[in-house]
Amino acid sequence: MIIAERKPMEEIKQMIAPYKKVLVAGCGTCVTVCWAGGEKEVAILASQLKLARSAEGNEIVILEATVERQCEREMVAEIKDKVAEVEAVLSLACGSGVQTMAEMFEDKPVFPAVNTTFIGMPEKEGLWVEMCGACGDCFLDRTGGVCPIVRCAKGLLNGPCGGTRRGGKCEIDPEKDCAWVLIYRRLEKQGRLDLMRKYYAPKNYRAVKRPGKVQAAKA
Amino acid sequence: METKIGVFLCNCGGAINNIDFDDVIKKVTKFPGVTCVNLSSDLCLEEGKKKMLSRIKGENIERVVVAACSPEFQGHILRGVLEKAGLNGHLLSMANIREQCSWAHDGDVTEKAVELVKMAVNRVRLLQPVEKKELPVNKEVLVVGGGFSAISAALQLSRVGLRTTLLEKEATLGTEGLGSFYGFDTGSMVSAVEGDGNIEVLTSAQMTEVEGEIGDFSVRIRKEGEEVFRKCGVIILATGYQTELALDSEPKLQAEGEAISGLNIVSQEQLCRMLQNSSLETEPKTIGFMFDFYDENSRFSTMATLNNALAAKKKWGSEVYVFYKSVKVDSEGIEKLYQEARDCGVVFLKSEVPPRITVENGRVNIKAKDVFLGEDIVLACDVLVAEELYLPVEGAENLSSLLNVRRDSRGFFQDENVHLYPVASERKGIFFIGGCRGDLDLGRVLTDISSVVMNVYELLSSGKILVEAEIVKADPQKCVACLTCIRVCPHGAIQLVRVDGSKEVAGISDLACYACGICAAICPAKAIKFQGYRDEEIMAQIEAIGKSLNGRNVAFCCEHSAYHAADLAGKLRLHYPENLRIIRVPCAGQVDVFHILKAFEKGAAAVLVMGCEDGACHHITGNTRAKERVKYSEMLLKEVSVDGGRVRMFNLSPNAPHKFVKAVNEITKIIKESGR
Repeated sequence: MIIAERKPMEEIKQMIAPYKKVLVAGCGTCVTVCWAGGEKEVAILASQLKLARSAEGNEIVILEATVERQCEREMVAEIKDKVAEVEAVLSLACGSGVQTMAEMFEDKPVFPAVNTTFIGMPEKEGLWVEMCGACGDCFLDRTGGVCPIVRCAKGLLNGPCGGTRRGGKCEIDPEKDCAWVLIYRRLEKQGRLDLMRKYYAPKNYRAVKRPGKVQAAKA
Repeated sequence: METKIGVFLCNCGGAINNIDFDDVIKKVTKFPGVTCVNLSSDLCLEEGKKKMLSRIKGENIERVVVAACSPEFQGHILRGVLEKAGLNGHLLSMANIREQCSWAHDGDVTEKAVELVKMAVNRVRLLQPVEKKELPVNKEVLVVGGGFSAISAALQLSRVGLRTTLLEKEATLGTEGLGSFYGFDTGSMVSAVEGDGNIEVLTSAQMTEVEGEIGDFSVRIRKEGEEVFRKCGVIILATGYQTELALDSEPKLQAEGEAISGLNIVSQEQLCRMLQNSSLETEPKTIGFMFDFYDENSRFSTMATLNNALAAKKKWGSEVYVFYKSVKVDSEGIEKLYQEARDCGVVFLKSEVPPRITVENGRVNIKAKDVFLGEDIVLACDVLVAEELYLPVEGAENLSSLLNVRRDSRGFFQDENVHLYPVASERKGIFFIGGCRGDLDLGRVLTDISSVVMNVYELLSSGKILVEAEIVKADPQKCVACLTCIRVCPHGAIQLVRVDGSKEVAGISDLACYACGICAAICPAKAIKFQGYRDEEIMAQIEAIGKSLNGRNVAFCCEHSAYHAADLAGKLRLHYPENLRIIRVPCAGQVDVFHILKAFEKGAAAVLVMGCEDGACHHITGNTRAKERVKYSEMLLKEVSVDGGRVRMFNLSPNAPHKFVKAVNEITKIIKESGR
């Protein structure tokens, strides 16, 4: 799912500096799972901000709310009363949530309290790693389920660069596994090494349209 | 309508003499919801309890606060009084005004006593009843293993009426070699098993997946290429051990020259076979043994050596020399055996370092410096029984992850935690017996077996287990199935369950849960509610310290360690600053960053989190989690310019009152010096 990380405290404080009544809004989906913006993180951030502003002699009133999915208009609408009471909103949702909130409440400044970083999975509790680059042209079928765009430091599409270190580590970042070693071993296990011999043309990044749109078939 | 709260004070027969109870009564009566305040001098006696019971019933009291001695003393019994009065036993909150107030400080402590009562009153207002429920359990037992321990356990379980499935990875049951050597014939035991209607034997079979928890395990087994399923209430691991000659590889014993392993240099088992071989070609005239050099967990080697040495002496009349570092005689019967061996003429030679072994002309030369003679001894012998390292079986790591249980630092089963009973694991319903626990000692193995049979009988024989229903529960509406609690639970008590036919959420098993609260503290969605220690119940205590929180130090004390140590400090009249307010928690791991920050937000001067010593947490990882959270809180506080040094983690044992007092004094000093 989407992984986010809370912004540095200084940055957050600066965003809400001119306001005396703020809503800290969490999201109950991705950011809850990656411990960045769920109900608990909302409570912790609210507490910190109260402490900080109190110490500065510039008290702040903080309301707290957590929406199940901040990127859904209907769900965001459920907290409109709280939003009406405050001068600004500090959202702990991913960029999608922040923008949905901003669109629903155009008259209120909505600030992002987290940086949305990547699409990833937990390697173990508390540690999330990037897996998918949302390139819009998935070719995991050919790489045994390992994405070299994200997991190879150079984003190579046709095999390792030749600088792989001992132990299958990346030339650039020795802490990282060489993605192409992972791909090779995976394809080997599946008896599909012939795929390594095929050549794939470079991706056409110019063709990536932004902002992307996906239209599902009408139900 | 406000819940009716009854407050029962006790002056402990006059032993609490620095509290002005009249003042306390006056103030407490004004607390919202308090409809009855009663002063007694003997709540711990029958009379006092009778009066309490009649007041509760007579005045329709719905929640009870007892302000007296420590809850560790009478808490359980007082719950019984509530139950007699028709109230749920969990609707009780206690204020420790004796050990942690009257006895802990000099001078008048009325103000603190009033605050402690207020904390209890605030908390009791929010307490929810917890019902007791009987849950059915599967009475079948799965024993993994096929050796002496496994077979004995199965036979004994059968005798007490429990059905067992023996799961053995080899094709046959029984312990080879050493089994019969120790005087127990697993052969006849195996026949007994095969004839026992209560025991099912699955050979050439291994576990591939284990799901569920105590009372309801589902096990997937691979037997000769096919998949078989079994359900059981309890799993017992009796997978044994393996040995390796400490020979021929760095940094172990290095035999120089030609070492012909198996002929001149043998294992205990090989010597056993030689002794049992009636058609042995040549009987060794001189035999050397060595043990306790490379593996100091040598009870097993000691017993094997002494038995084999005596057997060789008696059967072959050989000269027997034993090289040892120390002979550990703490197992049952060993000292006698040692004496017998010496009386028989076995020669014992003590050396500080492992002997040097060489092989020459078909004989093994052992060279060692004897401690008592102060001289080198060189022994040329026909056979050397080399030292063996005692190791976990192959596949122990796999078993441990299948069952989600930890092993010790040498890879044997059972975590090195002092709170685990000998045969228990950190998960209810999973037990370890025999050699797989390490430090094999026959006497202890026999005790393991009886112990586990008793444990399992107690658990399963009635077919149901009484539990406190849903004392810790994940709210399916709030749970986002992030899997954190499942991964973090030290007791493996949480699984993904389906609710409303489709949604998957965390389900905490009432049977397997130890109510430590580690999951509740870590849940990022605040979905887990731990009755008695929910956020609102903790906050209510913090808020009761209220406006006067400034200058107050809040200590979250784990009930297994610090709370007890604080009580002891009171009993020993070790005084510490009066501005400490203790909040009792089931485990330091239940204290959340949220609680710490809120305490500061409400004005606390300092927050102490106090838990068990490293490696001695009742809930295995609770104190480690607490430490991490305290560190994280420090960082969060620093970010907002609150001095990070005001939150500290302390580890101590329950019998360390001086350490408790030292910690409190230390923090108080830090606060004073920082000028607040």
